Amino acid sequence: MSDRILEVDNLSVEFATYGGTVKAVRGVSFHVNRGETLAIVGESGCGKSVTVQAIMGIIPMPPGKITGGSARLNGKDILGLPAKQANQFRGVEIGMIFQDPMTSLNPTMTIGDQISETLMVHRGLSYKDASALAVQLLDKTKIAEAAKRAKQYPFEFSGGMLQRAMIAQSLACNPAVLMADEPTTALDVTIQAQILELMAELQRTENMSIILITHDLAVVARMADRVAVMYAGQIIESGSVDDIFYRSSHPYTLGLKEAMPSNKGDRDKKLSPILGSPPDLFHPPVGCGYFARCPYAMKVCEHQQPPEYLLAGDTTHQARCWLQHAGAPVNKRLYQTGANHAD
Amino acid sequence: MLAYTMKRLMAGVITVWFIATATFVAMHMVPGDPLMNDKAVTAEIRKNLEIKYGLDKPVGEQYLIFMGNMLQGDFGISFTQQNRRVNDIIRDHFPVSATLGVLALFFATIGGVVWGALTAVYRNRLPDIIIMFMVILGISVPSFVFAALGQLLLVNINSALGFSLVPVAGWGTISHMLMPSLVLGLSTMALLTRLMRSSMLEVINEDYIKTAKAKGLSPLRIFFKHQLRNAILPVITILGPQIAAITTGGFVVELVFAIPGLGRYFVQAVQQLDYTVIMGTTVFFGAFLVLMVILVDILYGFIDPRVRLQ
Repeated sequence: MSDRILEVDNLSVEFATYGGTVKAVRGVSFHVNRGETLAIVGESGCGKSVTVQAIMGIIPMPPGKITGGSARLNGKDILGLPAKQANQFRGVEIGMIFQDPMTSLNPTMTIGDQISETLMVHRGLSYKDASALAVQLLDKTKIAEAAKRAKQYPFEFSGGMLQRAMIAQSLACNPAVLMADEPTTALDVTIQAQILELMAELQRTENMSIILITHDLAVVARMADRVAVMYAGQIIESGSVDDIFYRSSHPYTLGLKEAMPSNKGDRDKKLSPILGSPPDLFHPPVGCGYFARCPYAMKVCEHQQPPEYLLAGDTTHQARCWLQHAGAPVNKRLYQTGANHAD
Repeated sequence: MLAYTMKRLMAGVITVWFIATATFVAMHMVPGDPLMNDKAVTAEIRKNLEIKYGLDKPVGEQYLIFMGNMLQGDFGISFTQQNRRVNDIIRDHFPVSATLGVLALFFATIGGVVWGALTAVYRNRLPDIIIMFMVILGISVPSFVFAALGQLLLVNINSALGFSLVPVAGWGTISHMLMPSLVLGLSTMALLTRLMRSSMLEVINEDYIKTAKAKGLSPLRIFFKHQLRNAILPVITILGPQIAAITTGGFVVELVFAIPGLGRYFVQAVQQLDYTVIMGTTVFFGAFLVLMVILVDILYGFIDPRVRLQ
């Protein structure tokens, strides 16, 4: 319990729009242990970004609204705090980097000033001390000629460099948790690898936890200790990275895996996409969110939400699927530990 | 930066030359000439006057003489005002117009930025709705209406107080300048308010504002250091052309408030076809505006580093 640095319980977020209320996040629970990487995976619009942004308190409210749940950082409740209290953990205990480094830094401030701003605000350093520390931080993220670079503006940096600068900025106050919202999506593949390597290295040296949001399973396999798969505003499967890849227990996870290209020779094999489209979150389905697209859907899936099943013999591997019910039929492709299967 | 400035200045000189030539051509194409007034009663007197002012020469030669003098900074003598050089008219009256214009621009910019930022903060709430209603008034009602209403207001205030707190018209002290510059700056202020509002709302949705929040900065700090500075860029861009609007709009306001500015002479000169005064004031205003636009562009470079190095 004590090594759980962040614990999110039953988080729900809605957005009021002209078209009605979008239930973007529908009861999400997860936790992050000290020093580990949790990857949150899912397709666009599944609510993974909204989840972390709600925890950080940076979704615009209105139209956004946190309708339930809690988030505890080191045991302290941090969900929905007013700006003044929230700023005691934002940038201090939790650092955050975003998808597009090109637009995530203020274009009219030098990189150095943006990093030292965090230090001045939270650590009460003088401009001079903060600037010197900012250069050190840039150095730590392997930016060459850090002193010169600190005096430059974002438009003088490349995308990869900017993401390094973003990381340097988020690490300014030695946060316990780094939230990375698709940190490599906007970068090309070689730069992606460099950034991921940098993050992994800093995680070791700084002993921080990382919440990595991504839709790239290759990134997950490389970086994560544990994985939470999100679909239609819910976590449908979570577990260790091996659980997710080798003992997939939810048809959606299986579908994601099959939609992934492989480099293992079978070039003629066509990718099999998940047919259909995600449910309309203005009117989320009564039953399982994946019902309409699931090749193994049963009658019960349409009308009743599946509970989170803890897979037998495991303390962390969970799946939100009726196929894990004791009475469910055996499915050879899924990892099942239900009673029927055991027979 | 220096090369950029030089390039802009060169282009500016060409613009001014074009303005001068176009004005010269347009002026000579209008029927009549400055001597059609009561001065030239007989053909003989008219002929003498034509010789005196050089109007007997072919138009092409007149153009060359005019351009030559202009290059030396001499706009010639007024046709309608006895023995008054155009340079003197500009020197005497331009500072008045400039003071009025600068003050108006000052009101407009400060007001536009403050009101615009306020409406953005109170978006779709009562203060926003009230201010945006005023903005529509400010943009659509012409300045002479506001000038008259402003005077009426001053008359009422002064008569209620029993003494003249703020003079209704005239020129001389700071209190004379308040109402006319406010009136003159009103439409620009309204325009800038709208611009600032939309710019603020655009910036607040930018990713770097989200970053600033995630950094744990206070809302006040985000507002001033991250939002305002970026939102003000389009406002500065439009300031150059707005200086033009304010100086030309100034003619009417100068008239209503009996201010001895250059505008009055400009309008009079056009009515009386006073060639030299038309040319002098037009070229002078043109050069002034071109210079202002260049200045604004350079100023822009100081606020937005992306412009600076190109």
